[in-house]
Amino acid sequence: MRRFAIGDRVTVRDATTLFHHRTQSYTRGRTGVVVDHRPEWLIPEDEAWQREDGRVEPFYVVRFNQIDLWPDYTGLELDTLESEFAEGWLVPAEGGRR
Amino acid sequence: MSPPRNTHYPVLMGTLRKAGKRPSEPDRASAPWEANLQATCECLSWRGALDNLERRRAEDTLGETTYAHFPAHTRAALVTAHLLLERGRISEHELETRMNQVRARLQSS
Amino acid sequence: MSTTHDHDHAPIEAAGEISEFDVLETAIRGLAIEKGLFSPEDHRRFMEWAQRIGPHGGSRLVARAWLDPGFKQRLLADGTETSKEIGIDWLDPTGTGTPSDFTYFYVLENTPKVHNLIVCTLCSCYPRPVLGQAPEWYKTPHYRRRAVRWPREVLAEFGLHLAADVEVRVHDSNQKSRFMVMPMRPEGTEGWTEDQLAAIVTRDTMIGVALPRADWTADRSPVATSR
Repeated sequence: MRRFAIGDRVTVRDATTLFHHRTQSYTRGRTGVVVDHRPEWLIPEDEAWQREDGRVEPFYVVRFNQIDLWPDYTGLELDTLESEFAEGWLVPAEGGRR
Repeated sequence: MSPPRNTHYPVLMGTLRKAGKRPSEPDRASAPWEANLQATCECLSWRGALDNLERRRAEDTLGETTYAHFPAHTRAALVTAHLLLERGRISEHELETRMNQVRARLQSS
Repeated sequence: MSTTHDHDHAPIEAAGEISEFDVLETAIRGLAIEKGLFSPEDHRRFMEWAQRIGPHGGSRLVARAWLDPGFKQRLLADGTETSKEIGIDWLDPTGTGTPSDFTYFYVLENTPKVHNLIVCTLCSCYPRPVLGQAPEWYKTPHYRRRAVRWPREVLAEFGLHLAADVEVRVHDSNQKSRFMVMPMRPEGTEGWTEDQLAAIVTRDTMIGVALPRADWTADRSPVATSR
């Protein structure tokens, strides 16, 4: 059962981890909207160690407003950025769903 | 895996001295050895000796430190050798000896 | 013959001169094979594959999508599966479960309101089965860091300026998905065949740093006089 639906506002966790991950530093603590579901995949943290019994999680495409990602964004307000995240890296945004 | 150590391997640092300094041009055509190297990197990753993602990350970090003065298009070769040396897959002596042999063969042909 | 070249203007790879990096590459490969890190057959297969792939696959997908609404729908819904219709199988040649493997291919449709741009900040992932090898600039930290943060400036450097009502949407391919942009079909191409259309869909238009034009194909020298 997926935790987040398309349209949910989510925040990227700012967790510290020693393991290989693919959660970009510039997205940590940032809030965006789920715009698509991706299949369930082996998470990068377990994949790097080639664990057969590694954790599989649902993945999501999250879209951010660029002005929310960069304090001094020089483009336009309607510009966006999308990236993919494992469910474990996302929490519901404060203020709930849009 | 821990980030690559910022070791200076004389056999690799010497390539710049031998080759001469020149900045990498943005539109240069790639040389045949680059295609060979790319295939070598794919094989090393596929067969498990050196994962592509780790190597690319090392290219970024070492490319800003140890190999900052080398042209960008040579970094994959240098970093691949660097990591194989660091992991003990090949030794500096082996690499230097082999390079001398290859160079001598090319010079005489 | 001197083996040291100390002058700054000495070319690294002049014709006929021994390249130190050629020497290094040959040495690495020979030692790796001797130590069983991979086989000569492995290497030969990757060389063959690299020489075979190029942007022609991607161009074909876009051209066909422009002409065939059903194909376009299938392509946007499932890029991995629909690629097979033009003979590209994303699970071949690697097909193994290494972390750097791609498994899912998504085509991003440009519209009058949205312009897509692809980048990989973490390494330099690129949809090689449909676009071939990534251009040098795509792999540099210079592009990767700047494309996510200053996309309009980066596009302007490529000569692309977008209107104020067009959203620039950057896709950072940090996981298993690989992306390609489907640019909009330009004016002046009415009645064209699929081959004619494919010829104007260049690599850079599918990365998102250029727009296709009816009067420009990638194999045309920039200094060619008009025919």
